[in-house]
Amino acid sequence: MTVSSAALEQPPLAAAPSGPAIRVRALAKRFGAVEAVRGIDLEVRRGEVFGFVGPNGAGKSTTIRCLLDLIRPTSGTIEVFGRDPRRDGVALRGRIGYVAGELRLPERMTSRQLVRSISRLRGGLDEGRVDAIARRLQMDLDRPTRDLSSGNRRKVALLLAFAPMPDLLILDEPTSGLDPLMQHEFIRMVAEARDAGTTVFLSSHVLSEVQRAADRVAVLRAGLIVTQGTVDELRGRARQRIEVWFADDVDGAELRSIPGLEDTVVDGRRLAATMSGPVDPLVAVLSRHPVASLVIEEPNLEDAFLDLYGDAS
Amino acid sequence: MNAGLELVLGPLRQMRRSLLGWGIGLGALIGVTVAFWPAFRGSSGISEAIDNLPPAVVDAFGLAGFGTPAGFLRGNLYEFIVPLLLAVAAVAAANGLTSAEEDAGRLETYLSQPIARRSLFLARSVAVFLWLVLMTAFLLVVQLVSDAVVGLDIDTARVVSTVVLCGLLALLFATLALAVAGWLPRPALVLAIGIAAAVGGYLVAALFPLSDPLDPLSGLSPWKWAMGGDPLVNAAEPWRYLALVVPAVILVAVGVAGFIRRDVRAA
Repeated sequence: MTVSSAALEQPPLAAAPSGPAIRVRALAKRFGAVEAVRGIDLEVRRGEVFGFVGPNGAGKSTTIRCLLDLIRPTSGTIEVFGRDPRRDGVALRGRIGYVAGELRLPERMTSRQLVRSISRLRGGLDEGRVDAIARRLQMDLDRPTRDLSSGNRRKVALLLAFAPMPDLLILDEPTSGLDPLMQHEFIRMVAEARDAGTTVFLSSHVLSEVQRAADRVAVLRAGLIVTQGTVDELRGRARQRIEVWFADDVDGAELRSIPGLEDTVVDGRRLAATMSGPVDPLVAVLSRHPVASLVIEEPNLEDAFLDLYGDAS
Repeated sequence: MNAGLELVLGPLRQMRRSLLGWGIGLGALIGVTVAFWPAFRGSSGISEAIDNLPPAVVDAFGLAGFGTPAGFLRGNLYEFIVPLLLAVAAVAAANGLTSAEEDAGRLETYLSQPIARRSLFLARSVAVFLWLVLMTAFLLVVQLVSDAVVGLDIDTARVVSTVVLCGLLALLFATLALAVAGWLPRPALVLAIGIAAAVGGYLVAALFPLSDPLDPLSGLSPWKWAMGGDPLVNAAEPWRYLALVVPAVILVAVGVAGFIRRDVRAA
C-alpha cells in the first residue's frame, strides 16, 4: 500500500463558490403507510465530513436516495450545491461519487469491465487513478463481480465512487464487509479526499468510524434527526462512567445528592455512577474526602448514541 | 465510445447468453422441423386426413395446404410455435433488462451516474430491439439454409416477410412488457402480462373465428395483423408492419413516462 495519497491529491472539479454542499428542509418520504423520513432538516458544509448515523430503518438510505434522485420526496426540499436533484440530477450526479447501502453490482462482468463501462458513462476515468485505488484496496479487478465477497464488492463500489474525484462523496455504510485493515485504509481515503476539498456525506452505524472520520454528525432515529453537532459536542452530551475508591467509608447520601450523577452505587468505600454535564459538583464533593483512586472514562460517540436512543425511545 | 452507445451495448452484452440460448433452441426447432419436409412431401395420408377436418378447425390451427411448402411451414412453425416462443423470449429479454434488474437493485449503479432516467430506459429498449433484430436475422438464416438443404421450395421473399413479421409481433409484446416495467418494477408481473398478452392474442386470433359473434373481434389480435394475411403465401401489406411497429413505439414511450416519474426500487 505504498501508493497512498498520490491518487487522491488532485483537487475536485470546481464547485460553485458559496452555500452548503447539501441543504435539506423538512424532508419527508412515505412509502405507502410507512413514514420512512418524517421531516428532517440538514445542512452539510462544503469540504466537511458529515456523519449520518442511526440504526437500521432510521431513514438514512431513504434520505440518501432522495439526494441522488433515485426516489422522490413526499414533501420538503433538497438542494445539492444549490441545485434541485430532481431537475438537475444528471449534472449533479456528475459531481457525486456514491456507494449504495444495499449494494448490488451488475453481474456477468468482471470488476474491470464494470469500471470501464462506468468510465464510458462518466466520460472517462483516469486509469492511473483507478489502478492506484485498486492496488490500495488490494483488489483483483479481473474477477467476475458475482464471485466477489460482500467486502470485495464494497471495494468495487468504493473504487467507482472515489475514482472520478467527485465534489461530493455520498457513502452509505461504505465499510460493511471490509476487514479492519481496509476500514482503516478507507478512513485515510476519506481524510485525503476531504483535504483535497471533497465534501463527504458518510452514513454509518459503525460509530468508531464516524468518530474518527467525521467533523459533524447528525443522529437519525425513526425518520427524525434526534440531534446534530460536532463529534466533540455530541461526546460532551454523553454520559461518562465514573468510579471512585475512597480511603475511608463515606456517607452514601452525600454522594447520591451530587447533581448530574445517575445509576449511583455506593458500596463501602466505592462509588460507581454515570455522569452527564459538568464535572465540578463531583470534584467539590470528592475534595472533602481522601480519594484512593478515580476513574472517569472518556465518553465516546457510542455512549452518546446509545443515550440518544434511550432518550428518544 | 460515448455514453449513449455504452448505455445500449452494455445491456446487450449482458444478453449474449440469452441470445445464444434462445437462438440455439429456436434454430434447432426450425432446422429439425424442416428436416421432416421430404417425408411429408411424399405422403398424401396427412393431407387427406386434414381435408376431412372441418374447414374452421383447419383454419384455426393453420393446417390449410399442409402438403405444400408454405402450408407445411405455416402449420408446423409460423402459425403458433415460432411466433409464440420468439415473443416469450423477447418479453423475457425486456424484463431481464428492466424490471428484473431494478428489482435486484442492479440499476442503481447506473442510475447514480450522470445519466438521465429517460436515456437509460430508452437505451435498454433499443437493446431489446437489437437483441430481437439479431435473433430474427439468425432464425431467418437458419430457415433459408434449412430450406435450401432439404429442397423445400418456397419464395425467399415470403419467408423473409414471415420471419420479420414474427419478429415485429414479438417486439410488440416485448414493448408491452417494457411499458409495464416502466411503471411497475415487478418482474413476475411484467413477465406474466407480456406472456399472457402473447398467448391471449393467439387464442383470440385462432379461436374467435370459430364463433360467429366473436369472429369480428379476432381482428383485435396483433397475431391477426401479423399473420392474418398468410404471409408465406401472399405478400404482406405494408400496414401489417406499421400496425406492429407504431404501437411498439408508443408502448416504449409509455414505459419511459412511467420510469421517469416514479421511485427507483431499492434492493
